Amino acid sequence: MSKPTANWEKVGDKFYRRVELYRNIFDADLELEKYNVVGAPYSGAVAIYRDEEKIHAYRGMQTAKSSIDIYSCAGTLIRRINWDKGSIKGLGWSEDEKLLVVTEDGTVRCYYDLQGDFVPFTLGHGADEVGVQSCRFWSTGFVALLGNNHLISVARYDEPRPKLLAIPPSEAVVSWAIIPPAYSLSRSVEVILAIGTTLYVVDATDAEDRDFTAGPFRHISVSPRGEFLAFYTDDGKVWVVSGDWSEKLSEYNSRAKTVPKDMQWCGSNAVALAWEDEVHLIGPRSVATKFYYDAWVHLLPDVDGLRLLTNDVCEYLQKVPDETEEVFRLGSESPAANLLEASNLLDQKSPKADDLIQLIRPSLAEAVDTCVKAAGHEYNIHWQKALLKAASYGKSVLDLYNSDDFVDMCETLRVLNAVRFYEIGLPLSYDQFKRLTPEKLIARLTNRNAYLLALRISSYLQLPASSIHVHWAAQKVRISTADDDSICTLIVKKLHGAPGVSFEGIARAAYDEGRVRLATQLLNYEPRPGKQVPLLLGMKEDTIALDKAIESGDTDLVYHVLLHLRKKLPLAAFFRVLNTRPLATALVESSAWHQDKDLLKDLYYQDDRRLEGSNLLLSEALESTDLALALDKLKLASKYLQDTKDLAFHRTQLEDAAKLLRLQETFEKELKMESGAFVGQSVNQTIFSLTRLGHAKRAQKVIAEFKVPERTATWLKLRALVSARHWNEIEEWAGKSKKSPIGWEPFFNEVLAAGNSRVASLFIPKCTGVTVGQRVEMWEKCGLLVKAGEEAFKAKDRALLMEVGERATGSAKVEIERFVGMLGKGR
Amino acid sequence: MAPKVPFNASEISEKARRDLLLLLEGVRGKKNLVLEKALAGSLNLLVKFSTLQEYGVDKPFFLENDNVDSSQRNVVFLVRGEKSKTVLEVADQIKRLRRNGSVEHEFTIIWVPRRTMVSDQLLEEAGVLGEASVSEWPLFFVPLADDVLSLELDEAVTDLYLRKDPTSVYLSAKALMLQQQKYGLFPRIIGKGDNSKRLADLLIRMRTEVTAGESSASDGASFLGLTPSSTIDSLIIIDREVDFPTVLLTQLTYEGLIDEVFNITANQTEVDSSVVGGAAPQPGQTASASASMKRKVLIDPKDALYSTLGDSNFSVVGALLNTAARRLQSSTERNQLAAKTTAELRDFVTKLPGYQAEQASLKLHTNLAEEIIKHTRSDIFTRCLEVQQNIMSGADPTTQHDSITELISRDVPLPTILRLLCLESTTNAGMRPKDLETFKRAIIQAYGPQHLLTLSSLEKMSLLSSRAGLVLGTSQAAKPGTVTNYSPLRRNLKLWDDDVNEAKPNDISYVFSGYAPLSVRLVQSIIQKQTLANAIKPPTHPSAAAQANPLAQGLRIFDDVTKYIRGATFDETQTGEEKAVKARSMLNGSHNDAAKTVVVFFLGGVTRAEISALRFVGGRLREVGGEGRGSRVVICSTGIVKGAGLVGSAIETETFG
Repeated sequence: MSKPTANWEKVGDKFYRRVELYRNIFDADLELEKYNVVGAPYSGAVAIYRDEEKIHAYRGMQTAKSSIDIYSCAGTLIRRINWDKGSIKGLGWSEDEKLLVVTEDGTVRCYYDLQGDFVPFTLGHGADEVGVQSCRFWSTGFVALLGNNHLISVARYDEPRPKLLAIPPSEAVVSWAIIPPAYSLSRSVEVILAIGTTLYVVDATDAEDRDFTAGPFRHISVSPRGEFLAFYTDDGKVWVVSGDWSEKLSEYNSRAKTVPKDMQWCGSNAVALAWEDEVHLIGPRSVATKFYYDAWVHLLPDVDGLRLLTNDVCEYLQKVPDETEEVFRLGSESPAANLLEASNLLDQKSPKADDLIQLIRPSLAEAVDTCVKAAGHEYNIHWQKALLKAASYGKSVLDLYNSDDFVDMCETLRVLNAVRFYEIGLPLSYDQFKRLTPEKLIARLTNRNAYLLALRISSYLQLPASSIHVHWAAQKVRISTADDDSICTLIVKKLHGAPGVSFEGIARAAYDEGRVRLATQLLNYEPRPGKQVPLLLGMKEDTIALDKAIESGDTDLVYHVLLHLRKKLPLAAFFRVLNTRPLATALVESSAWHQDKDLLKDLYYQDDRRLEGSNLLLSEALESTDLALALDKLKLASKYLQDTKDLAFHRTQLEDAAKLLRLQETFEKELKMESGAFVGQSVNQTIFSLTRLGHAKRAQKVIAEFKVPERTATWLKLRALVSARHWNEIEEWAGKSKKSPIGWEPFFNEVLAAGNSRVASLFIPKCTGVTVGQRVEMWEKCGLLVKAGEEAFKAKDRALLMEVGERATGSAKVEIERFVGMLGKGR
Repeated sequence: MAPKVPFNASEISEKARRDLLLLLEGVRGKKNLVLEKALAGSLNLLVKFSTLQEYGVDKPFFLENDNVDSSQRNVVFLVRGEKSKTVLEVADQIKRLRRNGSVEHEFTIIWVPRRTMVSDQLLEEAGVLGEASVSEWPLFFVPLADDVLSLELDEAVTDLYLRKDPTSVYLSAKALMLQQQKYGLFPRIIGKGDNSKRLADLLIRMRTEVTAGESSASDGASFLGLTPSSTIDSLIIIDREVDFPTVLLTQLTYEGLIDEVFNITANQTEVDSSVVGGAAPQPGQTASASASMKRKVLIDPKDALYSTLGDSNFSVVGALLNTAARRLQSSTERNQLAAKTTAELRDFVTKLPGYQAEQASLKLHTNLAEEIIKHTRSDIFTRCLEVQQNIMSGADPTTQHDSITELISRDVPLPTILRLLCLESTTNAGMRPKDLETFKRAIIQAYGPQHLLTLSSLEKMSLLSSRAGLVLGTSQAAKPGTVTNYSPLRRNLKLWDDDVNEAKPNDISYVFSGYAPLSVRLVQSIIQKQTLANAIKPPTHPSAAAQANPLAQGLRIFDDVTKYIRGATFDETQTGEEKAVKARSMLNGSHNDAAKTVVVFFLGGVTRAEISALRFVGGRLREVGGEGRGSRVVICSTGIVKGAGLVGSAIETETFG
């Protein structure tokens, strides 16, 4: 076994290692130098396409065809996408392994799985006219640079909304880079453009000149987390500047005559410069080391390192993790190194093992932790085992140790080794795996159709397997040539009852494939009616869709289907659909009430719903500002009810309404009042207003016309006169009539409430229906205490009289005392 | 770790706030916020305006006013997306801004509580979907108090009963489902009413749907989430339709009366500034723009004074205020201060801000109470109350007709009249056809022909109906389940309590000074059987001398009475896999049943009086301890309603001319 330190290189005081991941990547024929190569983050797939600016040797018709080829890191071809859609100006990956292809005319295709299915969208903002120059991608979006230096950013791919950023000067851009929104100061994407000798920083709102003079900068690179920026100047120097531009951290002189073809960060602490077959790795404090290759080398940056790809080899360049360094560094005296040594000695059955353990006893727990972590960072299975064995040995010596981390690491390593296997070709580092999360890893595996491994991993890590099942079934539906029934039985046999399986998704795949019958069959197994609806609509199974939508209880779905049907069906057919579905009818009614009254009218007519129809006309009458029109509508509304006996009352009321309107109109004309003085009032209000204005005769006419009950009429007259303060008339009226249909108390109360106690008092003697006590109180309310006393005296109620007396003052008091005296005498 | 408390108000509001702020943060830079009026209250409860400003909100606009300007590049719409009307309004405003503005706008639409397919479809048709970035704010429950969660769906009543649109049922189910996913299934769902049944069915269906789908996206916890909860006892769903009379009655608790007189929306009430005084804004009050004469006052359920006042019958509020005033005075009195040692004095000084806040609150509530007294002393108020009390105590409703006719002649506001008429109709399974016609004519004559529509709507909501072809006394013959029959209920549930004690309540009847709300009685028949059975003391069971009242066994009362009440009855138990149940109980550890939560959901709204009554029941459960099946009662609803709102949803506002 080779030493783990064999591939280490010292850069300054730090170690870097080149881990050889795979060999024999590409065909020897493939001239990698003439291809553009981009790799997906987290050791994902690699896409290559021919660089059109380079001359190619003609190798027959077959290879002359342009294509985008997707390989795994181990060089297995996953997919070949034939390309004849124009010149590719941007090719990149998103975090979840979507491949983005941007063409010169601003069309973007988002290949969402590795199988060649894509969603297109366009950049707009004039991209089709001036053309796209180049693109820079980050984990969830990208920025495109147009021919006129306009920048367009797209922040997400599920609902892409291309946004134009602030406009920089239009001189030629030497090089450029972006700071992803997650790491920029403004939390939105920032673009660094090298124009002329200076740099511009562009975000959504402005383009700021940073006033540099050392340019032109040939390369710009931003570290994975945006904390450092690296610039390659024209005179062969590499500058490293902190992400907030506050200080220049280091300057390295490459002394190279040619500008390197690429510059990328390796993790967050070193910058790699690549020439054709030479890579310089520049660490902090400007120290550098050089690697030489025998073929053209491509740099594929990742979050914690850099993948180097040549025809022959795929290597991972990263800083040696601290734990690994601690264990393996030559001459390391750390407890972890000793523990590993002890474990070795134990294997050799040497008694020294225990001596060593005793030596590091105080920091043994720490040593175990370090070994576990170092095992995680190790690619070589031999060393993984050795480290875990050491950890296990150390932990057995400890009395108390929480083994969770150890168990986790064993599980993780098993998974990592499985996916690193060359047939899968996902050489994830431990950190990448942690950041990617196991769920996403499983998604990557299913996208590569590695279902068995995905299932094994998900059951091993106890993750839901539903998405794997669905993906498998969908793929089965797409590529299987078996007949519908057998596919359906096969899928159902395997998946029915499995938790979380969406048959809708499978059915959709079948439908997209043109297998409608299979889709229908599969859809029947979908337990969620709501999920079935969109597909059913797509399949033109409209009424089934409506029924399913109703079944789901989600009104939004029902509305959605109804809107769809309304547009598609002729009115009569639409109503027929509604006819047997009361919920759908109710929803149509409630939405149409605001938007589409004609539809409602037809609906009511069709269903012979007279009352509703008439009410609709009435509400239209209410809305019309023109009186004649309103009257017409009222007439129609009443006519609508013509033949229905049980709505006769309603009909009379409608006719009365028309009558009232006409009457009010006449009054307005006769009394030369502005229009609207009466119209809109109710019968009672009309009577009230007429009385108040002193048109008693006309009021009487209204009363007679509408058979207003006597009591109501009396109340109205009373309230109107009181509100007009026509005291004389009230007095006159009260004097004339002996009896009032509402009694006299209301007269007293209303008049008193209006503040006229004199007139109010007139009614007290008339209130014969109330008790003496109440009458006394009434007098008192008018402030007539003497009268109150007299009332009590008449009733010979001594106690009440005394009570009144207590409240009285001055002459009233004297008077009441006189009454008291008289009562006393009377006894 | 203490077991998680289900339906935790502060947790829910915290989550809602975080979600919203995250969404706002997503829109870079300053922005104008356009929001629907109906959301303003909820928003105000959850987030302070100053916080919104910190998140870049420059100016707020109301969607209804259609006046958002081009002062900012970013325009954020915050609206409910269920109704096509609002969607179209949003589309129109976007189009208007696009047309007029010289500025190139960035539009963001945040749909509450979810992004609907209809909204997408309509926006697409209007041609604006492409230029707005759309997201959703899953705001379901808005906590109004620690034990009151409301969906704040203002239109729920109109939708459910007038338009028969079950959107709010679906949203309720969603909201409850979210809680179930977090705290486990309701072990039991029980309730009354057709819409309630629909909600229960939806909940059960959604459960299978959740197990069937979505879970793949979330983590493994969801497997555990769909087992019966060990902290929730049951969910009781009451359809408003089951008990309209309780809403129609005038509420007589302090909080209820504030709502009746001044109108409370989202814990805020608007009071004339002459009432509460123009004092500088105190903590617990937010002054609105000085130009308006109305002042907004926060009715804060966390205010110590108010928490004792709010649920009390109004008749004792005066006395309570008095005691509070005395206590406050005695603790801040000067001559007492002189006698204090420095240590006591320091103690006193630290309490001083508390005293000041209390003082302010006392002043506010004294003023409010005075204003309410003015209202309750009025002739019309007492007349209405008299009619209500007579009807509820079971007097022949025809004896009240004269009073109602007189009130109509005196031009009392229409809602008041409609409340009385609907009350009569709903408690007596309809009105005599002749009486009904007379009143209809009287209303149309008094308030205008447009109310033909109002009356039709009321009939559609079955608030007003004619007792079809039946003579008084034989109303039992009506089809079971279509109308509520009050006469047997009055007896079997003791809906009317003659010896009501408002000052020291011993029964929920105190909230209406005599009438015990049917809805709450139903809840009691499930969770407080013993007390209720003893309160009823039915003559039909003379053998009830035994310690345990036989009525209290099983669901006897509930089963007995629900057959007299309209709508479906249901009682479902939700069980999970045995293994998972065990795992859950292991996780949570054993804790006594008394700490369990009972969730009472009012579909179609709850009145403040009912909340008070349920709080009273909850308080009793805690006291008794052993009785009932849980001691924490959480009240959830589609919104807070009151009589004026219920009949108001039917009232036609257009007039001729």
